[in-house]
Amino acid sequence: MSAIDDLAAELARLPGIGRKTAMRLTYHLLKQPAEQNRRLAVAIADLSERIQPCARCFNLAEGELCAVCRDPRRDASVVCVVEEPADIAAVERAGEYRGTYHVLGGRLAPIEGIGPEQLTAGALSRRVADGTIREVILATNPSLEGEATALYVQRQLADTGVRVTRIARGLPVGGDLEFADGVTIAQALQARREMA
Amino acid sequence: MAACVRVASLVVRDYRNLASVALEVPPEGLVLVGDNGQGKTNLLEAVYVLQLLRSVRGARDADCVRFGEAGWYVEARGAFARARTVAVGYDVRRRRKLVRVDGAEVPRLADAAGHLPSVYLSPDDQRLAGGGPAERRRFLDVTLGLASRAYLASLAAYRHALAQRNAALRLARRPGDALEAAAVWEPMLARHGAALWRGRADWVAGQATAFAAHCAAIGERVPVTMALRTPGAAEGRTDAESLEAALARQRPHDVRRGLTQAGPHRDDLALALEGRDLRVVGSAGQQRTAAFALRLLEAATLRAACGAAPVLLLDDPFAELDDSRAARILALLDAGGLGQVLLAVPRAGDVPPTLSSLARRTIRDGAVT
Repeated sequence: MSAIDDLAAELARLPGIGRKTAMRLTYHLLKQPAEQNRRLAVAIADLSERIQPCARCFNLAEGELCAVCRDPRRDASVVCVVEEPADIAAVERAGEYRGTYHVLGGRLAPIEGIGPEQLTAGALSRRVADGTIREVILATNPSLEGEATALYVQRQLADTGVRVTRIARGLPVGGDLEFADGVTIAQALQARREMA
Repeated sequence: MAACVRVASLVVRDYRNLASVALEVPPEGLVLVGDNGQGKTNLLEAVYVLQLLRSVRGARDADCVRFGEAGWYVEARGAFARARTVAVGYDVRRRRKLVRVDGAEVPRLADAAGHLPSVYLSPDDQRLAGGGPAERRRFLDVTLGLASRAYLASLAAYRHALAQRNAALRLARRPGDALEAAAVWEPMLARHGAALWRGRADWVAGQATAFAAHCAAIGERVPVTMALRTPGAAEGRTDAESLEAALARQRPHDVRRGLTQAGPHRDDLALALEGRDLRVVGSAGQQRTAAFALRLLEAATLRAACGAAPVLLLDDPFAELDDSRAARILALLDAGGLGQVLLAVPRAGDVPPTLSSLARRTIRDGAVT
């Protein structure tokens, strides 16, 4: 029954899905109306055809530019630099940020073969060189790799005169001081602020 | 908090040649008697796994699985530093290690180490004094990492950043790109490297007198000393600013060699006999004495850190010593409050008189009776 095995093998390649789950999903799809399966197949095929990197910021886009870059109400003079498109979704959920983005496509990790050439840092430098950008916010993860990547981008932009900032690190809102780890508390103390 | 760490019962399954061992352990400890190859060392190694979560002998987890089995499991109940049960299991197929403390899974392995403090003494310890610098760096890192979470965190971050910088030195196609790519790892290397240097230097300064005294007390007539050597520090300066400057200065050289030169990864805990390298001029007996002295310091450091005497895992360490030296070493251990002892010996006659009152079990072909 190669059609069943073929689909199960493809599903098992997805993250978080093992052989057993793949078989269960396959049998579930077998029971569904053919029309519904066709819609799923078309949706999957469309994904690769219609979604591509935004020509400006490398966010996921349908068409040349992504929804953020197309939106005239967004402040194009501020750019928030993130590692992956999923990070944009996280910042957008907060609903606070009105600027634009730049997706690096990962973070520096030479042991995995990821150097500056594998990222879109060069494209960011060219965007900044245009002169419309006033501030670049570095929102890479607070991991060793994320810090190194932020430092790399900052040094690349050092001569452009653009304002470069790094997102703050510290205690999570609603969190308990008692349960925070030592590194987080140390950094929160370092980045403490005067109370107005 | 317990005055010393005590294992009350031990369960070992499919660890090396131990198919299934369930053992009650008296508060003062136990002697395991068995011929070579019967599993004495494996049992002590299994207990040590509950501290460092890996083999004291440096074996890979998969290689510790009993032939043909799906994984291994070690569990101890008793009174420990911050818990009453600690269990470590390894699953071969998923290549995953699971640690449970008081029944709850510990999500990060870094938080799981050190729950059952122990010190392992074996005849192999001679390498600690007679082997290369890496042996003694490992000793420092294990001892200080178990005693201080901050040291452990710096060690993990330093090693990770060092691996990234070394990879960056080799990854770029043009030397100019490699310089830029390597530079971004240096602030982290400097911060964590300086923390390691601070931890090591403080420990050596605090323990140097005790080390010399221990060597003399064990029976060494020539003065034996220890000092931290830092060939990776420019002009001996071990602060973060100096290390960052040294990394920047040596960057072009590092790109050519493909290796990072500056930093604490090149340290040595230098041991000397009247000022001369113990590795070169020391006899086997003198090296073994120095190694015992280091283990005594390790026990004292763990005791100070967790407020309780660690379990002593003695893998026939007194094999080639006369009774009086063995007795003096045990007396030195006792001086700080002797912890629970698990002693493995090939023959009942090998038990030093000081430990002759301990209960005895026989181990044969991986089974304890």
